[in-house]
Amino acid sequence: MANNDSLKKTLTRRDFLKLGGGLAIAVAGAGLLSKAGTLLRPAGVESSPRSFPLDAPDQVPADVHLLGTDGWVYLPPTPAIPPYHPDAWAPAPFTTYVFGLRDVTNLTPEQIAGQKGKVSIPADMIWADEGQDFRIKLTNPGFVVRPDLVDAHTVHWHGFRNQIPYFDGSPMDSFGVPAGRSFTYFYRLRDPGTYMYHCHVEDVEHVHMGMTGAVFVRPAQNAGNPGLGIPPGKYAYNDGVPPGDHRSTAYDREFVMVLTEIWAMMHWNNSHIQATDWSDYEPDFFLLNGRVYPYTLAPNGGGVDPITGDLLPPPGYPELQYQPVSSLIQANAGDRVLLRIINLGFKLQTMTLPGLNLHVVGKDATLLRGRDGSDLSYHTNTISLGPGESVDAIFTAPNVGSQTTYLFYNRNYNHLSNAGGAGYGGQMTEVRIFPAGTLPPQTRPNT
Amino acid sequence: MHSPVRKCLQRTIVLLLATALLTAGIAPGVPQAVEAMPPMAGSNGLVCTTNPSNTFTLTAKAGTVSLPDGNIVPMWSYAAGGMHGFQYPGPVLCVDQGATVTVVLHNTLPADVSIVFPGQEGVLADGTPAQPVFDGLGNLISLVKPAAANGGSVTYSFVASEPGTYLYYSGTDPVRQVRMGLAGALIVRPAMGANFAYNSADTEFNPDTEFMLFLSEIDPYLNNAMAQGLPFDMETYRPRYWLINGRGLPDTLAPNHAYWLPNQPYGALIRIHPYDPTTNPLPVLVRYLSVGTDDFPFHPHGNHFRIIARDGRLLQGPLGEDMSYEKFTDVVGPGQTLDTLFTWHDANQWDPVTNPVPDPIPAVPDMVFGMWWSGSPYLGEMGPMPPGMMTLNQCGEYYIIAHSHALYQLDAWDVPMAGMGTFIRVDPPEPNMCP
Repeated sequence: MANNDSLKKTLTRRDFLKLGGGLAIAVAGAGLLSKAGTLLRPAGVESSPRSFPLDAPDQVPADVHLLGTDGWVYLPPTPAIPPYHPDAWAPAPFTTYVFGLRDVTNLTPEQIAGQKGKVSIPADMIWADEGQDFRIKLTNPGFVVRPDLVDAHTVHWHGFRNQIPYFDGSPMDSFGVPAGRSFTYFYRLRDPGTYMYHCHVEDVEHVHMGMTGAVFVRPAQNAGNPGLGIPPGKYAYNDGVPPGDHRSTAYDREFVMVLTEIWAMMHWNNSHIQATDWSDYEPDFFLLNGRVYPYTLAPNGGGVDPITGDLLPPPGYPELQYQPVSSLIQANAGDRVLLRIINLGFKLQTMTLPGLNLHVVGKDATLLRGRDGSDLSYHTNTISLGPGESVDAIFTAPNVGSQTTYLFYNRNYNHLSNAGGAGYGGQMTEVRIFPAGTLPPQTRPNT
Repeated sequence: MHSPVRKCLQRTIVLLLATALLTAGIAPGVPQAVEAMPPMAGSNGLVCTTNPSNTFTLTAKAGTVSLPDGNIVPMWSYAAGGMHGFQYPGPVLCVDQGATVTVVLHNTLPADVSIVFPGQEGVLADGTPAQPVFDGLGNLISLVKPAAANGGSVTYSFVASEPGTYLYYSGTDPVRQVRMGLAGALIVRPAMGANFAYNSADTEFNPDTEFMLFLSEIDPYLNNAMAQGLPFDMETYRPRYWLINGRGLPDTLAPNHAYWLPNQPYGALIRIHPYDPTTNPLPVLVRYLSVGTDDFPFHPHGNHFRIIARDGRLLQGPLGEDMSYEKFTDVVGPGQTLDTLFTWHDANQWDPVTNPVPDPIPAVPDMVFGMWWSGSPYLGEMGPMPPGMMTLNQCGEYYIIAHSHALYQLDAWDVPMAGMGTFIRVDPPEPNMCP
């Protein structure tokens, strides 16, 4: 760890930053309150309706409202990687500085204003139905720890077919959303499947810092298709075959697995205003849904505080307040379980589930079929996926007389520890199978 | 599809218009774009090196490439013919299926150099079957017969029996020499015709939109050591640059044979038009090749590319079943090639008058504009720019980025957005005002 001298120095610097941040907030706040910001605009440029946080309401309310900001999360502090991990500036019980996209959809404007500096990693999973017109509104309130960093943000729906630059969120060929501003992305959903979304501004940095999440589109076939003998239900794709068919994508429970990485030095660099040479990329932590094993097994977050709008930690895990997604996979015997696996790290990952038969039915939000309908799905227990790929795999829970546990983990053993420490860590979780009828039907993914 | 005369006329009109507007001192946004107009027409897409007798002379040479961070790195590569200058990657050799291909390699480098042709069978080296070469003690010294250092030659020949996309690269100390740049592409056109990727009707593509994405990487320490004849410990190998067709972003967008990139002749801009059932019914063909160390997860935004072939073999079952599949991230392994087809649809047909985007467009100061942004959501339209903003957009065309999703590979050493990235440029349907 840093000695006293360097600690003093860094604290001084931080105090300076805090002061700067206060000023920046004051300036921004004054502009928003008085609406005097319009004076700074060139004459003749029309102003548009505002939405953060005191603006006129949207013409059509967004389905999801995301806040792009910064915050702190928890990773096991031992073994330490001095001076990078745990970050000495992290408020207890947290260890690591992150950026993120925080879902503030149902919060009041006052609550939203209070969420600056409180992210969640991964970003909340989003789902919608095929055929729907869908809006994601992004608001950029700026950063708390890095007020000097006046980064724009975007939402890039990774894999959305035929997207136009205006809604694609790639800032070089379109635009970013500056601090203090909002933008609503519009999607006409035609293609079911498992996608991902992330900020695309300075994307190597913002993606690695945590502005990543899963998004999936449920197929029209969920309404059933009597002509093809398909009852209403849950399907991964419009597979066109009845549930008993070997090509069926019907499932009972679904679990999203977002794979990401954390390079402790880079995160420390960001909180300490240091540059990073990305060609040195060498991550220390390998995350499943924003957590490392054994925290992957902890329950989902406790929801949202009705007064403040803050995330509530999972019961018994105050350190996981900003990592609300559990990776624990639970099912009853005979259930068909869909795993939606997404890699938003920068390394190839190889996830294995020994003892269970995975049927890979889709990749990259596409049913595995040739143009002539040839079935290209396959069976395996090990799935490799590169950065930016998604895989849909279904297994059938075996018939068990009592609770039976399987492990789902990264077969690259270098990614199966926390910062190289002893014991098990990284991208690992459990699959717990219970006798038929034990668990009630699933109402939300990852429950 | 492109009428050169009309193009020329359009460009003249645009320029006249621009001059008029500039003279009048109005509308700063659009005319600036036109002034920045590079000589684009006909300068994108695959550049084939052909020979009527399918005999190619390649010269292994030393040279340099310039990288987007301003660095100049020494390279070795294959130059076409005896007189042509250094180029990286090596020339794209295009032949027809069934041709007997002869490659004469002259070596001006201080080390033995050879060529292997993965995917080709029955390759001959100086008339005898190409075989690994061992020294008197039985140590492997080359995967195939080399051209001796400092002036040696060797002649390879083979029958290009199967259509597809292939690599060729050095088989002598390939661990270092391929990283130094001794690599190129070989394209075998099928008997069915040059507008097909393979001998299958469903591989037909628009011959105006055939592109190559040759993915590679550079560790400048290796290259400098090799250029100076110094040893290099491969344990310390660490790529710092990731390139497409030998260039990093934004050089990937520059035209083929851009004069400011004299040693890197191949652009990587994928310039297309939207699908149209009558004027543009056929898909785009993208040929991926990789000489990298790790898998490159290449992600074209807004498009699923259909992978129709891998390593020069059509993805087709024994009974003709279609085993191609669509991906939004195309993972290209070391030494691998993929052939892909795609079509960009103007799916929602947004139009400023008849079908505007659903929500209000933010005011200009409420957006941070990118350099390729037209200022408008609409294809073929340009919108207002912030004061002083220079856009590289020319005519309201769309730019859709395509890049490695191992995102650190999108950097050039520590310079962001200067690595393995390019754009898909979608021009408005013709007639248009695009140069």
